[in-house]
Amino acid sequence: MSGATTAPARPRPVVQPWARPFWDSARRHELVLQHCNACNQAIHYPRVACPHCGGGDLGWRRASGRGTLYSFTVVESNAPSAFIADMPYVVAVVRLDEGVQMLSNVVQCDPGELRCDQPVEVVFERLDDEFTLPKFRPLR
Amino acid sequence: MNIRRGRTAIVGTGEVPTGRFPDRSAIEIALDAARLAIRDAGIDKDEIDFVIPTTAVFSFQFSNELTTCRLVEELGLKNVSANATVFSGGSSSTNALRIASALIETGRARSILFVHCDKLGTGVSAQGGIDLFSTAGISMEWEVPFGQHYSTVAALATQRYKHETGTTDEQLSAVCVSNRKWAELNPNAYFRKPLTIDEVMASKMLSTPLRAKHSNMLFDGGAAFVVTSADHARELTDQPAYVLGEGGVVTHFAYHQEPDLTRFGWARAGRQAFLEAGIEPADIDVAEIYDSYPIYQLIAFEEIGLAPRGHAGRLHLEGATAPGGRIPTTTDGGMLSKGHIGAGGSVSLLVEAARQVMGRAGPRQVPGCRFAVETAVGGTYMDAQVTILGSDVPRGRPA
Repeated sequence: MSGATTAPARPRPVVQPWARPFWDSARRHELVLQHCNACNQAIHYPRVACPHCGGGDLGWRRASGRGTLYSFTVVESNAPSAFIADMPYVVAVVRLDEGVQMLSNVVQCDPGELRCDQPVEVVFERLDDEFTLPKFRPLR
Repeated sequence: MNIRRGRTAIVGTGEVPTGRFPDRSAIEIALDAARLAIRDAGIDKDEIDFVIPTTAVFSFQFSNELTTCRLVEELGLKNVSANATVFSGGSSSTNALRIASALIETGRARSILFVHCDKLGTGVSAQGGIDLFSTAGISMEWEVPFGQHYSTVAALATQRYKHETGTTDEQLSAVCVSNRKWAELNPNAYFRKPLTIDEVMASKMLSTPLRAKHSNMLFDGGAAFVVTSADHARELTDQPAYVLGEGGVVTHFAYHQEPDLTRFGWARAGRQAFLEAGIEPADIDVAEIYDSYPIYQLIAFEEIGLAPRGHAGRLHLEGATAPGGRIPTTTDGGMLSKGHIGAGGSVSLLVEAARQVMGRAGPRQVPGCRFAVETAVGGTYMDAQVTILGSDVPRGRPA
């Protein structure tokens, strides 16, 4: 509701304690996914218990970092205040090879060249000292 | 299956114009809508024994006043046993009707008043609205940090749907034009000037492929309705809107968790509703489809069985959904043309469905409207809610 004079800081993830390993790994440029040891399925986003079988025996596995663009959009106007300076930016739903979906940004690309189902790979972008966000770029 | 077909009915609706009303307080709008609904129902106000307000997104203070019985006091309702807010974002009206019907069927209540009012047009700024809807219903851990907001939410579904069905931007824009033609006939709609496909496609790009005129706009407004038992409904009015069937599917909280952004839960919700109503999609006379963005009108239209997959865009382009068309759709102009008032988007559509069935839709009245289907959605398209209203209760074809 304020004018555009001072843009608010980019929002930081509001982290739940059981998801902390995801963000700690991302800071080290590693993409990890929660894994259910009972039903052997990858889980994203991290849960307090397995959403498939309800079990509580959950661990972490390093992900391939590869997937495909399920869908994407290039934000050209009317962005939230904290993202106005980033326009144009790409928001995408990525289908990871492990079978889970993740919301992220596609970077290091020509937005006009993006296509649904094209292969992408993870890259990491530092937000601040605590957070590094996993993002994606077209697979080369 | 315990069929509840036609045991309750909407007997009155009230609605005030959608627009920008900086000089009208939220409670004034809410009371106007409530009094219109009570008058339309022809019911003594003191017959109302249960009040269900829903939340106004623009103000926690005002919402809290509704939750703490302000409507009961202001309206002077003398015989209310309970006042309880029902809120599920854009599907609040459906859930309120569902709960109201259950309370009436089980004898816990006799006549229930539902009221909605919001002031998203003048209660928040334009950028404030964008910012509000960059966190409302969006995961603060997994989506907000990546710039997700309601334009990107709709654009992601639109992009994938175009990819899978070959639907064109022109067909998507035809949804806006069809809904505008209905809004031209609705004195409560905000946008009433004729609109062309070229104008839609020339409007500013928001998030590809979604343009400004593909987007709803936020306004002030309010509506209300009264629900009672079918038996009492027949004492009050010659033409109640019977609640024939409903179906619902909750699919996600965080948008990226949705496994199919081109379908959601509509197919199952629609099957449940039609099964309960004892009719088929081909029997529908009027479709009031939740249209916060054109993509959602196309998806729900197809998935509940009104058109084959990938055909809805062409039907809109051909005029089948517009006034005089084969399947009149979103006849109050919808959120795209009447205007979006928060939870009121589907309140308007439910009220319009009831008006059509009751023969009270004025210049928009679809002649001989017997069955209307209405859809509602909350959050980032988190649920699929389908309601079928009818001017009579069909026999036969029991589940």
